[in-house]
Formats: sequence, C-alpha cells, structure tokens
Amino acid sequence: MDRRPADRPLVDAMSPFTAAILGTFLGLLAWHWRPPQTASLGAWVLLIAFGALGAWAVWFGLLAHPEPTGFDFWKPTVLYWTLAAIMVIVPPLGGGYPAKIILGNYFALSNREWRWINRGFALLCALLGGVNLVAAAQSSYKDWEGFKFACLVFLLTIVLFRLNFVWLPILAEVSIYLYRRAAAAWRYLSGLF
Amino acid sequence: MPSAERKPDHIVQLVWPGQRAQLATLGATGKSGGAGEIFSIEGHPQFVAKIYHATTAPAHLARYRQKIQWMIDHRPELPQVPAEYQDIVQLAWPEALILRRSRFVGFAMRKITFERTLELDYLLNRRQCAEQGFDADYGKLLTVCFNLASLISCLHEKRIAIVDLKPMNVKVHKAELYVSILDCDGFHLATEDFRADAPQVTPEYLAPEFHDRAVTDPQAQDSFALATIIFRLLNYGIHPFTGVAADQNKYPLELAGRIKQGLYPYGRVAHPSVRKVPASVHEAFPDSLRQLFDRAFASPGRLRPSVREWVEELAIYASKHSGQMAPCENGHLRFGGRPCPTCIRQALIEGAEVRRRSFLARVQAAPARTLKYVRQTLRQTHSSPFQAALAQAQLFTFRQLAPPAPISTRNAIALEILWIGGLLIGLWWTR
Repeated sequence: MDRRPADRPLVDAMSPFTAAILGTFLGLLAWHWRPPQTASLGAWVLLIAFGALGAWAVWFGLLAHPEPTGFDFWKPTVLYWTLAAIMVIVPPLGGGYPAKIILGNYFALSNREWRWINRGFALLCALLGGVNLVAAAQSSYKDWEGFKFACLVFLLTIVLFRLNFVWLPILAEVSIYLYRRAAAAWRYLSGLF
Repeated sequence: MPSAERKPDHIVQLVWPGQRAQLATLGATGKSGGAGEIFSIEGHPQFVAKIYHATTAPAHLARYRQKIQWMIDHRPELPQVPAEYQDIVQLAWPEALILRRSRFVGFAMRKITFERTLELDYLLNRRQCAEQGFDADYGKLLTVCFNLASLISCLHEKRIAIVDLKPMNVKVHKAELYVSILDCDGFHLATEDFRADAPQVTPEYLAPEFHDRAVTDPQAQDSFALATIIFRLLNYGIHPFTGVAADQNKYPLELAGRIKQGLYPYGRVAHPSVRKVPASVHEAFPDSLRQLFDRAFASPGRLRPSVREWVEELAIYASKHSGQMAPCENGHLRFGGRPCPTCIRQALIEGAEVRRRSFLARVQAAPARTLKYVRQTLRQTHSSPFQAALAQAQLFTFRQLAPPAPISTRNAIALEILWIGGLLIGLWWTR
C-alpha cells in the first residue's frame, strides 16, 4: 500500500520570515522579562558565544547561504570545543561555573561539587569534539551520522534534567497564576449575571 | 508436682554409677533443644534430666546409650575451683542413665542454676550484658576467656573435644566468672577404649579446613572455635571474619564462606581483599594476643595455637597480680602500654551516632530542601556562603557579584527562552 501521501508533513516548513518574527518576539519577551540582577561573566561569555554560533546558524541555516566546503564535519567539534574552552577558561577568571548555567542550579550542591561537574563537562565536550573529528575522518558518512545522533543523548539528558527541575516548577507557578486569574474572572463574570 | 502432670511416661528409672537404680518422676520445664527436652527430677533438685525426643531413631538411641554410659564411667578431672564455689557446675556431664520401661531414653546431669548464670552470647553485646546484671570490663572478659580455655584444655588432655563450641552452649557465672559448658552428650570422644563422633557443627565457628568435610581433628576445631569466641568477646562481638570488601572480588555473604576463603581483615598485615569494620578495637590488643589471633585465623591449621597456648597467654592477663592490665584515665581496664579499647569504642560509637543522626536529618529534610532550592532558584534568592568563599579564592575578579535580587516567574521564563534558544543553536551545530 502506498503510504507516501500519509508521510508528507501536514504543514509546510516554517518560512524564514515566520521564524524571524517568532524569534524576534521571543527575544523581545526575554529582554522585557529579563532578571533584574547583573549577569555573571560566565553567563555573558556563554551568551556571546551562542550569539555568534546562532548568527552563523541563522546565516547559513535559514538564509540559505552555502557553508564553506567540508565545514559540515567540523560543526559538532566547533560547538563542543567552544563549550569546553568556556568551561576551562571562565572559572579561573571569577565567572562562576558555566556547567551550572547549562544544567541549571537546581541541585543543592557545594561549589566544590560544581567545580568537579564543570571539569567533567569540559572533559566530555573536549572528548566529543575530538571523537567527532576522528569519526569524520576514519568512518563512513553513515557511521559519522550515527555518532552525531548518539551525541544527542548528551543534550537530551540535560533537557530532561531541566524539564524536571525547572520547567515543571515554572509550569506549576504559571498554572497556579492562571487558575487564580480564571477563578477571579469567573467570580467577576458570575457577578455580572 | 500437680497430679494432673503426673503421667505414666514421667515415671522413669535412674541408673547411677555402680548400677544403683532408683525410680523418679520427671517434671516438665518447658525447655527443649534439637536432640531432647529438659525435665526436673522430683526428689533430686540439683539434677535435671535430658530426655531424647520420641522421634529419635532406635539406632541413634543405642549409640547415645553407649556414649552416655562411657561418659558416666569416665568423668574428666576439671580445673580446680575454690572450696566456696564447689556448687558450680562446669560441665553438664551425664551422671546417670534414664530408663523408661527398661529402655534408654536419656540421662541425668547436674543442674546449672540459670539465675546465677548468663549465656556467653550476652557478653558479646554490652547493652544486653548490662540488662542481665553483668557489668563487663576487660578484666572480667579475660577471666571468662581464661576459664573457658582452661576447661577445654582439661577436656583435651582426656582426648575429649567439644567440636560444636559456640557461645550459645556456654554459660557464664555472673559473680564467679566460671563457665559451664552444655550439651556434653554431643562431645567428640577419642580415648583408647572408646570412640564417639560429634555430629553437630556450627558453620560460623567451624575451622576453614572442615568446611564441606568431616571434622577429622576435633581439637584443632576447638582451637579455632575458642579463638573465635575470644576474639568476639574482646572485640565487642565482632566476628573475626566480619569485614568490608576492599576489591572487586566476590565477597561471600555468609560468614562460613568468608572463613573458608580466609578473609580475615584484623591481622597485623592488612588483607588485600577485605577491610576491617570501623567499630573494631583490635588494634588496642597487645602484640602477643594479635599474634595468636593471626595464627588462628590467617595461618594454616597446623600453625593454629592450641587451647593450651591460649590458657598460658590468657593467664597473664586474667591474673590481677601480673600487672598486665592497667586502668586508663577514664577508669576502664586496658592492656598495659596499649590504648584503651573501651574509650576507642565509645569514641567510635559516639562519632557514628552523630553522623547517623546528621545523615537521617539530612535525608528527612531533603524533599523540603529541594523544593525550597527550586523556589530560590526561580526567585534568585540564594544566599550561598560558598559563592563568597569562591570569590575570595579566585585569581581575578572582574566584577563584584550583585546582591541577589528576587526574580519572578517571568524572569525565570525569560532565562528559559534564552536557554532553549541556546539548545536550538546547539542542535543545529550537532546535527
């Protein structure tokens, strides 16, 4: 049975315009709701680094400019080694531990423990960046793709931690807020009739 | 005895040495063991009767009769006790055969007054010991060890061995510190004219060479069991083969398995595969005792110290006049020139108790603390002293951290938008 029609996406891919509008909106919202205190050096360094990586991604990903030839193989390494470098350089400069910003400081851990987590992350990122180059140079394209997808488990783990310990509490707070608002609105509307 | 308890089965015949027979009535005591039941004997308050269970096979009963008859006829010489303690029963040795309708059913033995004694097992736990009205100190414990070793040594001289030697089979007289050994009908007898085996063993007190095979050298087995009991008595009940695994090798769960593999962690040379338990005070023992323990538990069976060696060594410490035991500054008895084991133990227990309570308190507070931490994270109201300490330790400080200001859920959402943005960028770069 031909299932190709069912495999087609239900909607078209997001146009660059829509993506730009959505990104701008979220950016403005984040700016508007930004925390009042000054960001740490580590946070600034991460922001700048990801700003640069994001600009590259928007330029070569969304605006369809061709990437430099062979750069595909370097992309994961650039990301992992950038992260590793930030995690190694920032703590001695008094910028805190970038791993804490990435993971979320929801664990009641001492600074000593965060220091070791940061070192572990730095080592892992450095290794992944190196192994990516080895895989790209010495294995088939398919195997290299497999390696890249396997590395996504690393990101997925962090997302799961963040989801569990940060996003769910936020969702709970928002739900409580909306419930109170809805109850107040309901009382107001019932009063009218 | 109430008439209701008088049953025909309770009327028996006692056959004393010299074949002097006498009718007697037994009274139930409610005490029962693996082989038989204990009864009082009317008219003989200083004796009790052990009647074998009715399920005992006739062939076994016949062997028991032979053994008991020989024991009645060959009572061993026991260590001398002062005249005022002549009523102390050191061995529950058979004194008379008991027949019922001319059939052998058990034997009579001297009664050990349970009110004056406590099981040796209780001495392994100081709290239980105190509850039984016995204030244990190292002087008393060494005297008990010495008396036990002396008694066994006397038996060995007569080529009698206990084999199933364990704290449960030994009673200690609280005031006099003499010991009584029970279950004598299970002893191993190997004299020139008679031989009887000891069928019963307890794996926790069984020498490594006799695991999975018959006890071929009962006196070596007694030496091992005695060394184990002495070690436990002096080390607050810690069995010499109780330890903590120190490597990746499989550590047997049962003590028997550890004995078999020789996993003794309290030697003067540390064992590579097992560590001592932290509560042990064996390091406060004198070198001469530790050497004997090492020979007993970490050497081949032929090098194991005999019971006689234990008697000679323990005599030095059990005697008040030898001056080998001295009070520590807190008044506990300790081995001369060695740290006080009682003080070490108290310090260990108090430290462990403090750590245990602290750990329990932290575990109990963990859920509430985690919730509080998440809320503080969302509102940025942490006041961590570690952060301040870190700032002082850092090489360069570009910026003084701003005092934490409370942030709202909106601020948290803003941070998460940035974080998700970073995640998407990361995804693009790793895709």
